[in-house]
Amino acid sequence: MTQPQYPSSDTQWPRWEVFKQDAPNRPHQAVGSVHAGDPQHALLTARNVFVRRPAAVSLWCVREDDILTATPEELTTNFALLDTPGEAGTYHVGVKRTNKRSMTFVDLSGTVQASGSGDALRQAQVMHPDVLAWMVFPETAVVRTDEDPGTVESWFAPAKDKTYKQQQHYGVIGRHVGELKRAGLMPGRAASEEGA
Amino acid sequence: MTHPTPAQTGITPGETAEQHAHFEARIARGEKIEAGDWMPAEYRRQLIRMISQHAHSEVVGMLPEGEWITRAPSLRRKTILMAKVQDEAGHGQYLYHAAETLGATREDMLQALLSGKAKYSSIFNYPTHSWADVGMIGWLVDGAAIKNQTMLAGCSYGPYSRAMVRICSEETFHHKQGKEMIVAYAQGTPQQRAMAQDALNRWWWPAMMMLGPHDADSPNSGVLTRWGIKLKSNDEVRQEFINEHVPELLEAGLTIPDPDLHQDEHGNWRHGPIHWDEFWAVIRGEQGLNKERLGARQAAHDDGAWVRDALQAYTDRQRAVAAD
Ligand SMILES: [Fe+2]
Ligand SMILES: [Fe+2]
Repeated sequence: MTQPQYPSSDTQWPRWEVFKQDAPNRPHQAVGSVHAGDPQHALLTARNVFVRRPAAVSLWCVREDDILTATPEELTTNFALLDTPGEAGTYHVGVKRTNKRSMTFVDLSGTVQASGSGDALRQAQVMHPDVLAWMVFPETAVVRTDEDPGTVESWFAPAKDKTYKQQQHYGVIGRHVGELKRAGLMPGRAASEEGA
Repeated sequence: MTHPTPAQTGITPGETAEQHAHFEARIARGEKIEAGDWMPAEYRRQLIRMISQHAHSEVVGMLPEGEWITRAPSLRRKTILMAKVQDEAGHGQYLYHAAETLGATREDMLQALLSGKAKYSSIFNYPTHSWADVGMIGWLVDGAAIKNQTMLAGCSYGPYSRAMVRICSEETFHHKQGKEMIVAYAQGTPQQRAMAQDALNRWWWPAMMMLGPHDADSPNSGVLTRWGIKLKSNDEVRQEFINEHVPELLEAGLTIPDPDLHQDEHGNWRHGPIHWDEFWAVIRGEQGLNKERLGARQAAHDDGAWVRDALQAYTDRQRAVAAD
């Protein structure tokens, strides 16, 4: 991972990248990170921070130190990333494909057998040459929520039942925006487009 | 003779014109800058400042509303308010994460907040006098925040933009529940109507001011605009906010405390003069609840020490067991 350019204090808990799966057969996606002392703490915090709304069946957490990310620009100036050492074995590969607005960074796209992190990154680059960022980490570094229905239910169902957290729950209050516009009470176009 | 500072030019000694040209071309093409990419030191500095302030605002923003959880008038309102306050905690977390991708540490940011060095939105230094304030905050304060955050969702820095997309989708709930509550009170008993009107009288101008100084008085806008961090000016965002909220507040039967408010020939609602002296006094902490907010934050930090200690002890124990 990119080295911080500011001095960091060593007393904070390690950072874990969080991967959320919205439904079975969907990829795990990188949603952000949490600080935690141990794997269970990381998973619980990840649920509190990233799954306050429906749509999750599985969470993975991976320690920041075990993750290697790179952008194409980074690789043009820092070839050494491809020599990053690591244990031989199965590595997960994540890629970022577009600059479109998104809530997530990379989608996990599969696994490779690699001799280390740098080798996994090299393979990711060959498999996905035209993406905007790559991420790799060893399977051994992943901590995950259990996949049995009971765990999925107890971890993720409570968020689903709280429909008052959804804006749809409130419907249209008062007159619809379109109506207010037609009545001349709101400008038809955004103010920022005026006079452009 | 004085030299222009990096804050004015965006160029820090040691950076080349080519690097800047390449960087600005990427932004012009609509690319997102990611953590490992080259970026001007000033871009990094401005982003850390903005994102950490934004994170602090989410965290401190829990306090004025959190005070009302125990006093909510119904179980439904209580669960809604708890979910909203919990969301704001989460928003702080998303944003601290985004700042960390730039090299800032959680501890330094927390320290800056607790020591009073870092700023947060001055809107949260206003007191909440009645239950209707909870609704009015949702409608106006979250409403204003959504306008700003929708703009920032399009900003050039990937991790900040993604945090904003996630936040905006949750803020819409905050806005709606507040609007629902106030519209109900505005159509309720004379007492309820008076409570809603009183809340509007006190929150209207602070909500207008929270979108920042007028463009002519906004010191950081130059490089922020050039680098695609701020895609609209403060006045543009404020205009969007007014255009949406004025008709809805009027429709609810409430009176907006601005005698000069009127619609121009384009349909835009134009506001009267804003009293910025109050805004700056609150920012400087001379007026409002700055001390109380930081005191409450510090107390929460201290009261949570035993939890952090316990978690640390557990972590240490697990490591020791693993090492055996
Ligand atoms: Fe928020
Ligand atoms: Fe909010």
